[in-house]
Amino acid sequence: MTELLIQGALSGLLIGGVYGLIALGLNLVFGTMRVINFAQGTLLMLAMFMAYWLHVLTGLHPYLSPLVTVPVLFGLGYAIQVMLITPLLAREKAREPMSVLLMTLGLAILLENLALMLFRADYKTVQVGETNAVWFLGDYIVSVSRFWALVALLATVTALWAFLHHTDLGRAIRAVGQDRQVARLLGINDRVIYNYAFGISTALMGIAAAALVPFYYTHPAVGTSFLLKAFVIVILGGLGSMPGAALGGLAVGAIEGVIGIWTQAAVAQILLFAVFVGMLFFRPAGLLGVERK
Amino acid sequence: MRIEERRIAIVLGLSVALLFALFPPAARALLSDHAYWIQIYIWILFFAMCATAWNIIGGFAGQYSFGHAAFLGIGAYTSTLLYLNLGISPWLGMIAGGIVAALAGAVISYPCFRLRGAFFSLATIAFAEMLRVGGELTDSVFGILINGARGLVIPPVGDNLSALQFRDKESYAYVIYGLLLLTLAVAFAVKHSRLGYYLAAIGDDEDAVKSLGTDTARVKLVALLVSAFFTALAGSFYAQSVLFITPTRTVSLDLSVQMVIMAVLGGLGSVFGPLLGAIILVPVGELTRAALGGSTIQGAHLIVYGALLMLVVRFVPRGIEGPVRQGCCRLVGLIAHALHGPAPLRPAAVNAPIMQLPEGRGALGLRAAAAGGAQPLSLSNVTLSFGGAVGVKQVTIEVRPGEVVGLIGPNGSGKTTIFNLVTGFLAPQSGSIHFAGRSIVGLPPHRINLLGIARTFQIVRPFISMTVTENVMVAALPRCATLSTARTEAQRCLAFVGLSHRLDTIADGLSTGERKRLELARSLATRPRLLLMDEVMGGLDQRSLPGMVELVRRIRLEGISLLIIEHNLKVITDVAERLVMLHLGEKIQDGPPIDVVSNPTVIDIYVGGTAALR
Repeated sequence: MTELLIQGALSGLLIGGVYGLIALGLNLVFGTMRVINFAQGTLLMLAMFMAYWLHVLTGLHPYLSPLVTVPVLFGLGYAIQVMLITPLLAREKAREPMSVLLMTLGLAILLENLALMLFRADYKTVQVGETNAVWFLGDYIVSVSRFWALVALLATVTALWAFLHHTDLGRAIRAVGQDRQVARLLGINDRVIYNYAFGISTALMGIAAAALVPFYYTHPAVGTSFLLKAFVIVILGGLGSMPGAALGGLAVGAIEGVIGIWTQAAVAQILLFAVFVGMLFFRPAGLLGVERK
Repeated sequence: MRIEERRIAIVLGLSVALLFALFPPAARALLSDHAYWIQIYIWILFFAMCATAWNIIGGFAGQYSFGHAAFLGIGAYTSTLLYLNLGISPWLGMIAGGIVAALAGAVISYPCFRLRGAFFSLATIAFAEMLRVGGELTDSVFGILINGARGLVIPPVGDNLSALQFRDKESYAYVIYGLLLLTLAVAFAVKHSRLGYYLAAIGDDEDAVKSLGTDTARVKLVALLVSAFFTALAGSFYAQSVLFITPTRTVSLDLSVQMVIMAVLGGLGSVFGPLLGAIILVPVGELTRAALGGSTIQGAHLIVYGALLMLVVRFVPRGIEGPVRQGCCRLVGLIAHALHGPAPLRPAAVNAPIMQLPEGRGALGLRAAAAGGAQPLSLSNVTLSFGGAVGVKQVTIEVRPGEVVGLIGPNGSGKTTIFNLVTGFLAPQSGSIHFAGRSIVGLPPHRINLLGIARTFQIVRPFISMTVTENVMVAALPRCATLSTARTEAQRCLAFVGLSHRLDTIADGLSTGERKRLELARSLATRPRLLLMDEVMGGLDQRSLPGMVELVRRIRLEGISLLIIEHNLKVITDVAERLVMLHLGEKIQDGPPIDVVSNPTVIDIYVGGTAALR
């Protein structure tokens, strides 16, 4: 039984890599703009369809799809921010921009159902070398494609961390997140920073999709379940904390994996939401987040 | 004109209600596929009812719940289980369902209402999803069969009023018509009661409402209970009209989101907005579904919903109810004009000069209230630090009854922190705060206000979507028996601060100086014994400054003790009887103004060493 549970935790941990990537995107936008992007899951879904169709039409391996999808998604995210969100932020600068929540919700509903109309509701899968390949780690089985998802998360979170701490643009993004007014006084154009943050956050979905497509089905509604998990992860790991998002993703994956072995996977869902509400209530800054006044 | 508009609105409303009442028989008489149209009619009214109920907490108070389908599910399951197991009529089961849903709302309100904005929304999603997944996994509770994800079927019994089942669609149509009317009536009553004023103000700025003496948690709870109750009634109706319920269909995120969309489209905070939203969205969704290939695409109507939501949020953020109502009134006006000739001209609004203060001392008559307690405000050894940073350290301040004390110090010296401590927005880590002979540490902001301490905020916080009078009414209501006495009281306070010419202006349109006066009027309406003013002179131009100084003097003449944060040393030495100087969270001076401002340390800290030499 113990071995089975460890196996479950291991498999869960590996898919947690994907959860972590989505949470990273959500966190980047929240960390800079204090805005929750309800369309994050839908953007992941778009990215997955891009990777899927690139593979089907050109034979491009999903792992190479970010070469195409990341720039395209960055542009899309940048455009969404400029056209849809900036006007709302300008209007509601005095209080929490709740209309952005509604705007991204509208966008999510629109895109998801457009995808449903265009791509239909069947489950699409991609078969590549990694899809069914496994490695053996002692007595345990490691799915190769899931392993690469974990690697993708670790590489991305490291790169993002380095970007945020060691480049001018990255520092500007952090500065705007910490204190928009002061950052403006220092000559940072906060609107442009927001555009970049949303662009990067969307581009990250290209990486998540590349990791996901080889072993997960692609479907118009795939975004919602990932989004709900990403909310849990972001609250668990700490709003605005990049390492928190990564670790939270792995933790949620592992918990799901263990509970999935032990009883039904749906029980894990209830438990995660319970943890989520508990965290919101007792420590809204998350395990690794910084308390803000 | 206002009365004219109201009359038009009543006539319009009654005609719409009548039209809706006549629709089912008219459809049967005139349309060959009347069953289809009556079904759409039922869906419109059903969604309108859900969205109207949602709006009571979501729109009126700006608490966007994304989990309201949970209440719908609770209603549907309660009435169905009572009927299936005990044979209780769904009419009674419906009420039971409403009560159970309200209880559930009370339980989740405790954790959820501590959260603000988007976090509240996320928590409501979490609760609804827990309920849905839990329901799908559970086959029976305490021996009562609920059948998990397979759901429950209500056996058809033909036409039976007490079982709330009918063979024809019209009967269902009339049931939902009645339920919707009831919900609209309740929403209307809430909107136009004191609860409605509090909810609207909470939607704009909850902290400000607390500081004016209202227990916002209780207000939101009451609104949530009402909202949950009526959503559950709609749920029972749903169960009876479909005769088959599952957790997946009733407690669905999609359903919750559709309630939100209809309310947003029609108008958050408007009584009839959600109805309008449903009247537009349900048929549009139906047409899209038909046009895009019927049942093969489940979400076709959602494409339109999503797009419309985005458009409304971007271009008509307050919803279409307002513009539509105005349009109708104008149209009726035009028709009336054509029939009866021109309407009499409205007298132009009188634009008073910048401000006129009423003559005479004690114009507000607060002296008696203010004199009620001869006890001072005293802070002793109060300390609070934020993480590593010192907020205030070992601060001891006393404000005696009737005294005017100025609180000065550079930015970050802890002045506003003192205000937040005294008004209950922060709690000290050590030290004590006493007012009117009792400790006020740990009391919530509204209780402290009710004891007689009012405040203004450094960055003014008017309720921007309400009129000037309504702003002040929110402050007066906790102490007034009726809305009309609160209105009179508000107008008196507004006259006192010189805003009588702005009574019906939406607060968002006020200038900075007017906003500061509005905030003072709001504070005064709480009949304070002690008023904390946070930089009421700040940001005023030279022309408005003397007027504000005069106003402060008059407030003082009302017998109210004042603790004033002010950077303008000339003004504060003029107004205050004593100055307290803070620096880096510590009190470094306390004495007569002239002594404090001529103290070398104070000058050094305030204007820098070199300036002191001049």
